[in-house]
Amino acid sequence: MATAIGETRPTARRGPGLAGRIYKHRTDYLYILPALIVMFVVIGYPVYYVVELSFFKTPPSLAMSEKIFVGVDNYSRILQAKSFHEVTMNTVVWTVFSTLFAFILGFGAALALDRAFFLRGPLRGALLIPFVISAVAGSFVWRWMYNSDIGVIGAFLVELGITDRPLNFLDNTQTVLASLIVVNVWREFPFAMIMMLAGLQTVPDELHRAAKMDGASVIQRFFHVTMPHLKSVTLITVLLLTVNNLNSFIIPWIMTGGGPANASDIWITAIYQLAFGRVRFGIASAYSVILFLVMMVLGYYYVRIMTRGDERRAE
Amino acid sequence: MTAQDQRVRKLRRTSTAFVALVAAGAIGMSSAMAQTTIDRSKWSPDYVREIAGTLEVDTAKECAEVTPLDYEGKVTFWYVGPTEAEPDLHKQMDQEFWDAFKETYPNIELTVQNINYNQMLDKLRTASLGRAAPMLARMPILWGVEFAAKGFLQEMGPEDVGYTVDEFWPGAMKSVTWEGTTYGIPTNNETMALIWNSELFKEAGLDPESPPATWDQLVEYSNTIKQETGKSGYGLVARVNAGNTPFRFMPVMWAEGGGALDEAEDNPTYEDVYIGNAGSKKALQHAYDMYVRDKSVPVSALTNTQTENQDPFIAGQLAMVIAHPAEYATMLDRARKATGSDKEIAQKVVDNMRYGLIPEGDVRRSVVFGGSNIHMFKDDFVDGGEVDRQAALALVCFMTSPEWSTKLSWVISNPGNLRGFATKWNKERLDSIKFLDVATSMLPYGVPFPVIPESTEIMNIIVPGMLQNALTEKMTVDEALADADDKVKELRSGL
Amino acid sequence: MSASEQAAAAPALARTARRKPRRMGGWDWTRWIFLTLLLIYATAPIVWMFLTSIKGQFAALQYPPEWIPKEPTLEHYIRLLSPQEETGREFLRYGLNSLWVSTATTVIGVVIAVPAAYAFSRFRFPGRKLLFYSVLVRNMFPAVVFLIPLFIMMRWLRLVNTSWSLILTYLTFGLPLSIWLLKGFYDNIPVQLEQAARIDGATRFQAFIRVVMPLSTPGIIATAIYSFILAWNEYVYALTFLNDKSKLTLPVGLERFFAQYTTNWPGLMAAAFVMSVPVVILFLILQKYFVRALTEGAVKS
Repeated sequence: MATAIGETRPTARRGPGLAGRIYKHRTDYLYILPALIVMFVVIGYPVYYVVELSFFKTPPSLAMSEKIFVGVDNYSRILQAKSFHEVTMNTVVWTVFSTLFAFILGFGAALALDRAFFLRGPLRGALLIPFVISAVAGSFVWRWMYNSDIGVIGAFLVELGITDRPLNFLDNTQTVLASLIVVNVWREFPFAMIMMLAGLQTVPDELHRAAKMDGASVIQRFFHVTMPHLKSVTLITVLLLTVNNLNSFIIPWIMTGGGPANASDIWITAIYQLAFGRVRFGIASAYSVILFLVMMVLGYYYVRIMTRGDERRAE
Repeated sequence: MTAQDQRVRKLRRTSTAFVALVAAGAIGMSSAMAQTTIDRSKWSPDYVREIAGTLEVDTAKECAEVTPLDYEGKVTFWYVGPTEAEPDLHKQMDQEFWDAFKETYPNIELTVQNINYNQMLDKLRTASLGRAAPMLARMPILWGVEFAAKGFLQEMGPEDVGYTVDEFWPGAMKSVTWEGTTYGIPTNNETMALIWNSELFKEAGLDPESPPATWDQLVEYSNTIKQETGKSGYGLVARVNAGNTPFRFMPVMWAEGGGALDEAEDNPTYEDVYIGNAGSKKALQHAYDMYVRDKSVPVSALTNTQTENQDPFIAGQLAMVIAHPAEYATMLDRARKATGSDKEIAQKVVDNMRYGLIPEGDVRRSVVFGGSNIHMFKDDFVDGGEVDRQAALALVCFMTSPEWSTKLSWVISNPGNLRGFATKWNKERLDSIKFLDVATSMLPYGVPFPVIPESTEIMNIIVPGMLQNALTEKMTVDEALADADDKVKELRSGL
Repeated sequence: MSASEQAAAAPALARTARRKPRRMGGWDWTRWIFLTLLLIYATAPIVWMFLTSIKGQFAALQYPPEWIPKEPTLEHYIRLLSPQEETGREFLRYGLNSLWVSTATTVIGVVIAVPAAYAFSRFRFPGRKLLFYSVLVRNMFPAVVFLIPLFIMMRWLRLVNTSWSLILTYLTFGLPLSIWLLKGFYDNIPVQLEQAARIDGATRFQAFIRVVMPLSTPGIIATAIYSFILAWNEYVYALTFLNDKSKLTLPVGLERFFAQYTTNWPGLMAAAFVMSVPVVILFLILQKYFVRALTEGAVKS
């Protein structure tokens, strides 16, 4: 019958063959089967479809029977295109700075909130709001606030006497990406905050007390006591943020559509534009595969960190 | 179909009055039809007013000839219908249409999807690819040819629902024709016009009653208004992937002798690329001068669609826009519904609102020939794998009838079926909506977008991209033109 | 950078002085200034959303803006929420659809994630690691890339234009994090508890239901909120899979305020505000579980 808890380790080492082991554990699989079915249904076919299509030139008519095999031609065309380099630069800037600032703000907030004080609960709740609100609603609000002619942010800066006319946030190639990053960080820092807050609460008080007795300063204690404890949660948070940022579509799409003059075009919006705006599914698929590959590299580290504790327990 | 031929003949016989009328009047463009240019001298606001109310029609009777009124079946239909923010009257007419159809064809089951303009194209593409398209779709004029060229659409023309080709604008018929075959029927056609705020003109020391006659002048006016009043002069729109942009920019290109291809010529071949020529350059220079040099237009032009320009206009912050008839209607509607202090502002703007022809350029006066067409998908691409052709034709007939093509375009457009202009409903419209005068008289200057499947990409992506490249100074005007020229050529070469 | 570093060290200091009332020191000032600025950043857009939503359409377009609406009006809310009007009916319909899709996603998600997380935590079946990885990697795939193939697939499954197409898709976003969070929980529940139950004659499954489940409640609540919010806010798939106006969810329905020729900013803001309220309240009430789940489950190692 079913495996008894705790007796797994020895048998797994030197048990019967793989088939036998699978048979022995057959009921275990029932627990994960539903999750696997859902995952494979929703992921298996699309991945196959995208990878296959990336080697074909699809006619604008999209009559798939007329697609022509072109090998890696789609890939080489993407990699050689000037626009690809621009878009990649944007993507890197977008991902790195969004992640960095979201993490810094989130960590800062977590440190500031890591102690019971008056209003801590409500404050934490209020800071979490941007994370909970839909990206669509958030994007519309920010677009409205940024409006270069009647936007409230511009008006506020005029009121303060910082400028004499509303600043141009979204209609300027120099400022648009930074403006969008501000929105993205707004959406994401609460996530970093809540993760780091959880991490901080696992740092034992005794360690701090001991360090204090040894005469360590606040800053020394932060670096020698707090930080080492937060290493893995920091890595996870940064990775999750990075993945999220590489995948974020709604904010740039609703706010600028990748404009002006492609200044806020990132991989995802470029892929959408290729597939839907220009109906080049072949190239769009190849572009997606490139994105997959980058994700896979990140995914490797992601999984390693996520399962690190697991390894220890399993042995 | 012989039955249909008979029906057409019968129609001809029974409504000789109409034929005479149309022959004499509406088809004052008859010479035009042959040569694909319109006799501009006859089509005028007076002329339109003259024919209105002279024709009686019985829609149920006409459509019964196509599909018997007791026909049992079902039809699925997608369109860009009225939305939340649109004028009440438009919503009401839409509702009346569906009620009337259900009453006339009680046994046809309807599945109607009213889809947002900004979402419809992507949705139709996905749906036809996934073989889940509706049987019928009413699409903005620019889109149909792409679907026809992809082989998604069935052959269908006015004759299939008992009308004749002569009852529709030749430009509109051109937009539903791909490689010599007709793939749809025009439901409504309109052109835009210039509207301006006379109060702001006065404040800037300009003649409040006369609009700029040329695009050169418009650029000057815009600057003067900015200098004198601090308000924006002209409502430039340059967002990428938004239909509003080409609708407002292509008229400038054409007027100055440019274009994407040769679509503004009398007999376009769509072979020659015009986007890099001197006329296009002049047009782009106008935009550059207003946005970069004079800063006389809203800064948010690059992220804005027209909807966001309408707001400052009605708030008295913007002096001139190229407006769709629907916008005029919306503003009236908003003024009517406004309360408190809003009411005053709105009423003032509405009172000061003037409308006129879109300026001329060095070569011609032009405007985008706009509107929508109804198309029928092929069985293969339709959800369920089969089109109920009789039921679909009933709906097509109803929608393109003189009565309903007039009523459905009440505040926002003009009947696609020219007989609609002669109905009493059109008279009623003309009496109540003064803007129609000018929008209607722009019709002969209408240029359809190139009827090639790449049109949407050229108009929604390449042209706005060119504008953005120049206006953000990422490229010089010349570089932006050359870049767009390359892109159009590459696209046309089939890469 | 420096601000956050300073703030960073604050709690360490504060920690030592936990119960002693004392004057505000430099770290405290830094902390409060930092938190105040952050609070403004986080909530100003929401405040402006609300302020815009209670203005008339013209008032909203004033420049310089009316900071506080001179003639506040609830007209947009009344229109959105009154079942007597077309707009209201539609909006409420979208709300119900969103509620249904999110609830179904959440319930099914929990039902699927709980046993899977338990199995990954407790059992040592072959292929366990590989399968766990492949589940986690799900979040690496961007939605946009999958639109066309998933649409085609949903059509095969005859799910286009049904809320099930969304529920099925949304399940896969929530699952990886849910499974990971819950697995962390189970890892921290001593095996001895189950063993004791087994000795008392319970089957493995009974032990799981009676002993392990109740102990992991905070984790379950946390993953449930997480899936609910993801589903409630999702936009791209909802936009592609649904055409039927009666089936749309709120994020997509929101766009109905942007038409081809007109726009209604205050109306849009009111709709966005109404749409945000339920999830914000839900989250605020249950946030402590979320933090606790992360603390006790995933992050603890």
